[in-house]
Amino acid sequence: MTAFFDVLLGGVFHASVLFLVAAGLQLVFGVQRIVNLACGSFYALGAFFGITAVNWSIAHGAPPWTFLPVLVIAGIVLGAIGPAIELLLRTVYKRDEAFQLLLTFALVLMFQDVLRFFWGANPQQLGNLSMSYGKIAIGAVSFPTYNVLVMAASVAIAVGLGLFLSRSRYGRILRATAENREMAEALGADVRWIYASVFTLGTMLGTVGGALVVPTSAASLDMPVELVVEAFAVVVIGGLGSMRGALVGALIVGLTRAAAISFYAELEVLAIYVIVIAVLVARPAGLFGKPVE
Amino acid sequence: MSGAVPQRRGLLLAFVAVAIVVLAAFPHIAATYYVTLVLPAFAYAIALLGFNLLFGTTGLLSFGHALFVAIGAYCAAVLSSRVGVKSLELILLASSVAAVVAALPVALLSVRYVRIFFGILTLAFGMLFHSFLFKFYDLTGGDTGIRVLRPTILGMDFKELDKTAFLIGPFYYACLLLAVVLGVVMWRVVHSPFGLHLAAIRENPIKAEYLGVRVRRFRLLAFLISAFYCAIGGVILAVNTGQADPELAYWTHSGELVFMTVLGGFASFFGPVVGAFTFVFLKSELMGLTQYWRFCLGATLAVIVIVFPRGLIGLAKDASRKAAKR
Amino acid sequence: MSTASTLIETVDVGKAYGSFVALDGVTLSVKGGELVSIVGPNGAGKTTLVNVLTGLLKPTRGVVRFKGDDIAGIGPVKLAKRGMARAFQLVHIFPAMTVAETIGVAIVSQTGRSLDFFSSVRGDAAVRRRVEEVAGIFGLAGKLDSESRLLSQGEKKLLDIASAFALVPEVILLDEPTSGVSSGDKHGIMKTLIDAAERASVKAIILVEHDMDLVAEYSSRIVALQGGKVLADRAPADFFSDPEIVAAIVGRKVGKVARSLA
Repeated sequence: MTAFFDVLLGGVFHASVLFLVAAGLQLVFGVQRIVNLACGSFYALGAFFGITAVNWSIAHGAPPWTFLPVLVIAGIVLGAIGPAIELLLRTVYKRDEAFQLLLTFALVLMFQDVLRFFWGANPQQLGNLSMSYGKIAIGAVSFPTYNVLVMAASVAIAVGLGLFLSRSRYGRILRATAENREMAEALGADVRWIYASVFTLGTMLGTVGGALVVPTSAASLDMPVELVVEAFAVVVIGGLGSMRGALVGALIVGLTRAAAISFYAELEVLAIYVIVIAVLVARPAGLFGKPVE
Repeated sequence: MSGAVPQRRGLLLAFVAVAIVVLAAFPHIAATYYVTLVLPAFAYAIALLGFNLLFGTTGLLSFGHALFVAIGAYCAAVLSSRVGVKSLELILLASSVAAVVAALPVALLSVRYVRIFFGILTLAFGMLFHSFLFKFYDLTGGDTGIRVLRPTILGMDFKELDKTAFLIGPFYYACLLLAVVLGVVMWRVVHSPFGLHLAAIRENPIKAEYLGVRVRRFRLLAFLISAFYCAIGGVILAVNTGQADPELAYWTHSGELVFMTVLGGFASFFGPVVGAFTFVFLKSELMGLTQYWRFCLGATLAVIVIVFPRGLIGLAKDASRKAAKR
Repeated sequence: MSTASTLIETVDVGKAYGSFVALDGVTLSVKGGELVSIVGPNGAGKTTLVNVLTGLLKPTRGVVRFKGDDIAGIGPVKLAKRGMARAFQLVHIFPAMTVAETIGVAIVSQTGRSLDFFSSVRGDAAVRRRVEEVAGIFGLAGKLDSESRLLSQGEKKLLDIASAFALVPEVILLDEPTSGVSSGDKHGIMKTLIDAAERASVKAIILVEHDMDLVAEYSSRIVALQGGKVLADRAPADFFSDPEIVAAIVGRKVGKVARSLA
């Protein structure tokens, strides 16, 4: 029974982090129609920078328990690279999607070495810091408090994003621009600013996700390319452009992966992709996506 | 039909003839190191000729075609080191057939979509295969992969030659011959009625349907042909390195295929070939110059995408047009 | 255009989308030698009817037949093979392909050579001759090697229609072929179309048009739709001599030609 809960909670934790990255992807795709292959690079950047930030803050006397807020702040601060990257992508907005995709691939390649340059080739960790919040025990099951906090944070962000997109003025303008760019522009929306801010928000979600995951695993140079695989599975299952899809897709992928690892390790990624393909056969647009083609 | 000016055709043919002669003489005039680089260049040139039938001619961008390169490599490995089949001709045939068979379900599913969805779906299939190769250690050798033993060419095993001598000797010329033959075949296909229909599908699939073109079926056929070519490229790569490993199927390898094609020029027939050679040599030089060669490659791709989307051939065409005007 | 057999017909065709009825019991037939114009205000069901006639939509009621065969929902490719071609109101071209290549696509498809992987389409003299023939009918002979995207809007329209004609269809359906064309050129285009139809052995033309002068001058029969039903199905003289029909469809004074028929 404990094993079952471990798998469940482990899967949901992984899903929480995946959701953040996927939400960033969906936001950017929904508004700008760009699929960002470099989402994994932002994630890895968040992870490495998060470690640096925590180590720095502890070296400067901050008590260990502050590492969670430090990670979050580090992730948000990193969002500052968003506008610069968006400017680069702006050069290919009017072109065929293939070129936009390729440009994000170029970013992936470049970021690999940027990470290598600043942090070297070896994986990095935060040691046992995640345990400094202790564990939460419910009956016979105990789970690190840190993980629970991250899951809660993810839910809070999901709810916040949802409310923000549906209720706020900015959210409405976003949705209008996503629906019909020319019309939104004609109605006075500053599309350039919207694109820049959306991309930055999407980037931030990725960097925060990477920062939050790092206490429980390691930051490595494999992260950028490996995350893309799962993040894409999430958005394909959930449906490109849909936030709800990101949530449901993340849960499906997170839980499948956790289950696969514990029962039959070889099946890990295989299982996820079988589900991806099955969903696409049954519902080509994903579970919540709008049908295209 | 559309007239490429006869002089230009003649010039093109002359160029190609010179290139073939240079390539044939290369092992005798260049340093061994550079000759060994030409082998993966041949491999990618062939693979990309196939890939570009799908991308440049039919307009479908796949981010998973490394899957078929990997199938070619693993077939060569399994046949040579596990089944004992050493004939290069048989290996090429079996690998390409295997790739086409594998491509059928992938294509059937994927051609229902276009554009970004097609790209993501093909990426998914590529990674599915990668995870299979990576995890099923007993079958596929896991992350080490499977060894590829030296094949026989036309029945001859060239026992007296060491590995390098074999590769830059008989194998080199076999690959050159393959590249030329497969190139001619692809040229015919692209300029055939079938090729014309593929171009129509790329330009405007709706109108193409109204002119009686079976869009999905032809996309499928283009996909199958591209898989065939990629597998042959994979065989060459595998024989060259002596190993089939799962990273051949990783999505970033698929990304490199696209990179090379766009680098050379996706809108021209020879673009992919130019791209393959350029990329292989560029990557090798960069790796020797700096440990941050990935960054350099990425930056190169960014520059191509932003400034020279029609690639090197596009640049050359623009330059010759300007020169002609003077 | 000489045969008088029924080429395409609908029998009591209806198309409903849930509670919205787009077509309500439309019966019409087109015979060889006719030029039938479909007219009606926007929302009358013209587009739906055209989509049913060209096998794009399956009617929810009734039958649609082409040369006696049921063609409900068969789709554009099968339709083209059976002998009906369609050109759209919105111009469809192959931007990067030349005029010759565009027409060539139709010719190659029509002669069943789609799966020919190896012969050179460029060097094929027979194809080239046919391309020149079709291009000549539409006045595009001088632009054979120009890329389609470089043509003027009018030329693009002609190319779109020319490629449809190159399919050697028995029936061709033209969706507002003169829209976006200046009124001076409209008659020229209509004459070109009719001339082309004769030379290409097209047996019948179905026209969707808003310009009532053209309709009055060139149609052998006018089918007026209103609210998904057939309001009238008559020869122009009959059509324009009935003031109620004229008022319903046109809603205002008609041009010189139509009045002279009344």
